[in-house]
Amino acid sequence: MNSVNRRMVLKGAALGALAYTVGGAEVLLSPREARAQGLALKVLTADERAALEALGETLLPGARDAGLAHYVDQQLSVDPSEALLIARAVGVMPPYANFYRAGLAALDAASQKLHGAKFAALAHERRNDLVEELRQKNPEGWSAPPPSPFFYFVLRADAVDVFYGTVEGFERLGIPYMPHIIPVKRW
Amino acid sequence: MANEKVDVVIVGGGASGILLAAKLGQAGKKVVILEVGPPLALDDLVSSQIWSRRLKWGGVPVVSEGKNPVAHNFQSGWGLGGAAMHQFANWPRFHPEDFRVRTQYGRGLDWPVSYADLRPYYDRIQKEVGLSGDHVAEVWRPAGDPYPMPPIRWFKQAELLAEGFRKIGMRTAPMPLAINSVPYNGRPACINDGWCEAGCPTGALVNPQVTYLPVAKKAGVEIRTDAYATRVLVNAKGDRASGVEYYDKARERQEQHADVVVLSAFSASNPRILLNSANDRHPKGLANSSGLVGHNVMAHITFSAFAMFEENTENHMGTSGAFGMSQDGYVKDSHPGFGSYTWTVGVAMKPNDVLGFANSRPQLFGNALHDFMKRASRGLARIGVQAEELPSPENRVVLSERKDAYGFPLARVMHGLDENSMQLFNHIRAEGDRIVKATRAKETWTNPSPGLAHFLGGTVMGKSPKDSVADSYGRTHDVGNLFITGGGLFPTIAGVHPTFTLHALTLRTADYMAKNWGGIAV
Repeated sequence: MNSVNRRMVLKGAALGALAYTVGGAEVLLSPREARAQGLALKVLTADERAALEALGETLLPGARDAGLAHYVDQQLSVDPSEALLIARAVGVMPPYANFYRAGLAALDAASQKLHGAKFAALAHERRNDLVEELRQKNPEGWSAPPPSPFFYFVLRADAVDVFYGTVEGFERLGIPYMPHIIPVKRW
Repeated sequence: MANEKVDVVIVGGGASGILLAAKLGQAGKKVVILEVGPPLALDDLVSSQIWSRRLKWGGVPVVSEGKNPVAHNFQSGWGLGGAAMHQFANWPRFHPEDFRVRTQYGRGLDWPVSYADLRPYYDRIQKEVGLSGDHVAEVWRPAGDPYPMPPIRWFKQAELLAEGFRKIGMRTAPMPLAINSVPYNGRPACINDGWCEAGCPTGALVNPQVTYLPVAKKAGVEIRTDAYATRVLVNAKGDRASGVEYYDKARERQEQHADVVVLSAFSASNPRILLNSANDRHPKGLANSSGLVGHNVMAHITFSAFAMFEENTENHMGTSGAFGMSQDGYVKDSHPGFGSYTWTVGVAMKPNDVLGFANSRPQLFGNALHDFMKRASRGLARIGVQAEELPSPENRVVLSERKDAYGFPLARVMHGLDENSMQLFNHIRAEGDRIVKATRAKETWTNPSPGLAHFLGGTVMGKSPKDSVADSYGRTHDVGNLFITGGGLFPTIAGVHPTFTLHALTLRTADYMAKNWGGIAV
């Protein structure tokens, strides 16, 4: 990506939005808006999206509607040097899609092994039980890598990012956002 | 493609590279900086922890392995200004004994410079860039000029935490911060909004974009971004560096020839470039007759303890750097586990990201996490530690079997904490537990395992070519016109943050190079 395009994307940050393609044109939307508009994902499959949203909602209720899957997917579609995912900061090897795909597949494999169904199909309590187990050690059926506690750490941080790491999220907590570079549109 | 030859080519547009370029440019040298990342400007520094990740390493992957892998990407930088663009700006000085650990304690390594050698450079740097602190209250501080600015304002969190230290007989003082508490040198005072890690666009925090980059540009230094340096080139005889090979944004191979070559990249990148520069004369890698290129990488052992107060701690206010410090544990052999450490007392926090509210209680999820976030946003407080890890040849950067797009092996970093480090961590954890329990908070907890911060060593300096890579000026023992700057030179890392010392050391190198140019560039 050249510096002009990079600057455009950074300007998008000031808007609190990411670049999505709608009707062939690139538009800036928040992940929540992208989800509400029903935009198709670019990288993750339907099964992967279902697992990601179910896991995100278990980790932090509200993360699904905040656009977790659209946030992650949009970030997986850009060059790793442009990515905003916490995976980048904590040393996940690019391409980051490999990490998410492997982790979500392992989640479904463990869920199948333990409960005979994919994670998204589990009842609320069973999802909680499985997450409680995988945050501590690889559950039976988990096809590592990545190790499940690390996958939990990254996905939980993604959920916190989209739900609380925004102007809207700060407002939920009653703390002022106080930006230097002012977001003119809320996530 | 060969470019016009210059006096100096510097690999790495971070704090040390830009400082050196500025000073050599002012001394009349023609300087080119090759920065691997993109150009950055102050208006790129969006106030968001999510967007702050743009400032973290985004180049060719670094393979991090071992019992305690270093957090390379989190520590290093991406783009013009380097890691200093997201630094927290805690700037204590090293202590005199930090420079002679081997002589005084029979462990670790000695520096080839003393505190007395570096003191004038600490004093000059703090005057040039501005530091806030209280040299009287900071009773552990070695001799030095008073700070040019008063300390940064303390918010409620710091006062509540300091009470815990006091109750168990420990002293606290304001942390010296490279952040303006009042307007300084045309730069404004900090407004305490806690966005330091996302990059400070106001100019209140010392980052290269507001300190030495403008000086470098004014002095005519040429900066090439998106320039990926792969090897140091040598002359036909193999005894002098002739320039640097790099790949530009269009992925075209370029050569930049120079009288003097300086490696100012991060601590994983400098050894990688030297090892990838092996030739017939230097089969183990350039400047590696000691066999120590890549060895002795170190990180600070970190730890956090938390307290949840009934009172509003105002934890959204302040800086990513700490309000306060305590060095009552600094004497290296005064406690279980050898090494110095510095407590940090209270920091501004955000809800998300590695050091946000949520990660202070990593086991919580679901509605329990929501409940915690609401309480944390009002009452959470944190103390932390930077503790010394001793050098070990086993902790090292080597070349990986994995290669980049041009066929050059990646850096592979192997790192683990030894028994001494774990003893020190356990002592610190117990002390931290006592501190937070002594506060008036009803709920306290501590991190169960050590973290790692900073990434230093790998091309250590020393007096002898047998046991070090470079001399006290960063001049490599083997190649007289090849220099190294930055944290990779540190033979030991003390129990404090490295950025002030990195600046002082680089300024000393700049002075030396300018004064001895004829003997270097022949």
